[in-house]
Amino acid sequence: MKLRRRQRERLSLWLQYLAFVVIVGAVIVAADWGRLREAFFRVDIIQSMFPTVITVALRNTVLYTLGAFAFGLVFGTLLALMRLSRVAPYRWVATAYIELFRGLPALLVLFLVGYGIPIAFPEREIPGGVFGSIAIGLGLTAAAYMAETIRAGIQAVPKGQMEAARTLGMSHFTAMRTIIIPQAFRVVIPPLTNELILLTKDSSLAYVLGVTAQTIEVTKFGRDTLNDRVNATPLLVAGFTYLIITLPLSQVVRRLELRYAKAR
Amino acid sequence: MTFPSAVRRAGLIVAIAALAVTAGCAKKDEGEVQAGGVKLVEKGKLTVCTHLPYAPFQSKDAGGAVVGFDVDVMDLVAKELGVEQKIIDTPFEGIKSGQDLNTGKCDAAAAGMTITEERQKVMDFSDPYFDATQALLVKTGKAYRSLDDLRGKKVGVQAATTGRDYARKYEAEKGLQLVEFEDLAAEQQALANGQIEAAINDLPVWTEYIKEHPGGFEVTAEFDTGEQYGFSVKKDGNPELIKKINEVLAKAKQDGSYDKIYEKWIGKLPNS
Repeated sequence: MKLRRRQRERLSLWLQYLAFVVIVGAVIVAADWGRLREAFFRVDIIQSMFPTVITVALRNTVLYTLGAFAFGLVFGTLLALMRLSRVAPYRWVATAYIELFRGLPALLVLFLVGYGIPIAFPEREIPGGVFGSIAIGLGLTAAAYMAETIRAGIQAVPKGQMEAARTLGMSHFTAMRTIIIPQAFRVVIPPLTNELILLTKDSSLAYVLGVTAQTIEVTKFGRDTLNDRVNATPLLVAGFTYLIITLPLSQVVRRLELRYAKAR
Repeated sequence: MTFPSAVRRAGLIVAIAALAVTAGCAKKDEGEVQAGGVKLVEKGKLTVCTHLPYAPFQSKDAGGAVVGFDVDVMDLVAKELGVEQKIIDTPFEGIKSGQDLNTGKCDAAAAGMTITEERQKVMDFSDPYFDATQALLVKTGKAYRSLDDLRGKKVGVQAATTGRDYARKYEAEKGLQLVEFEDLAAEQQALANGQIEAAINDLPVWTEYIKEHPGGFEVTAEFDTGEQYGFSVKKDGNPELIKKINEVLAKAKQDGSYDKIYEKWIGKLPNS
């Protein structure tokens, strides 16, 4: 049996399609759909979750995410500049901070902020309650990651830009602020948007702080409803709720990356 | 017969895929392991799911071993079966929803768990082994004597507990601001930090906490909810084990070993 090269390739391709169909088909046939539907797709439970899952839970998830992102962005930019600073102690502190916080689970940091700060300063309160604690707790970790991204962005701006700016008589600081950082941010917007997507999901860690009916976010809301109804459907609803935010965001990242690739 | 290499490679992919699918679909061996006529998920072990910490029912001692009222009672059951007790710490949601039992993670759940109608729908309970009431814990000197005193105040509850369900019932009526914590330790910490004004949980749990932190906290109200704790197994999954647990409970109450465990962990003897 001798096949020509074209035929061989076509046969191989068909077999690969076949393998794919067989695997997917087997999984679908093997799954117990009746039980799955009963456990994960009870329409009455889905209906009972609306509109609270959007008006309260999703709203809080978005708020926590944006809070943490804003905190992380400001602090991360500062860290990036410190890492590139000519002052050696700044570099040491920034490097130590980044290494430390990249290595710690966000859950632990959040716990330390939520329970450690009240012990350390019993008379003071983190402004904003749960929101403030999450913005700081998640922001501290996010800042470490963002600092590295932003530093890479700043270093990606050609040296000539800084040299030209200095030649024109700008101070180092002014050149950084008006020439370098704006160009650096254009480079780092896609990776920063990815960080935003990660933070959206990390906001589910809010539960460790203890949440009220007003400060509940999507995951906790799903788990609570699971407890009340003794059924896993709410988790599915919670999952889809996250996709409302994360899918458009990943589209944005893709567009931005495309545009940046073209601009080069 | 020789196959061209591309075809062979593709054939190999299909073969591997088929293998993977069959392997993935292989049925779990259920109930293969027996001890004293009772099915167990792991040989020689009575695997018990719980959620730590929940002193005095289950918590870790200084050496890291899980100890407590529930642990001692389940040890009696394990001894009866001639096996060892193995304790798994899982989120209370998994226990309460019955999933830990359904998925064969453990044989039984012993987690200071109240028998409720809803939980009975998803798991089989043993006879009640403990009468519990809910209680309000506040910092010593605070004047919160009832839920009425807590209007607009933050009250801590533990997620997925009957105390939380009880508080939920009065949330609107009494104007409470309920804060849910994942576990007991976080709830206690928040009360100690002043993040909440009062905390609701099972009475024996607070009694134990006050014992460990003398002078700092007091129980100012008890809510008699008529709750009873039970051990549970998979729904319709292991009637032999439930029967065994009930036998052991009955025997322990008769021969005084239940009273001994009660005195050791709770203190005063049960009224009955």
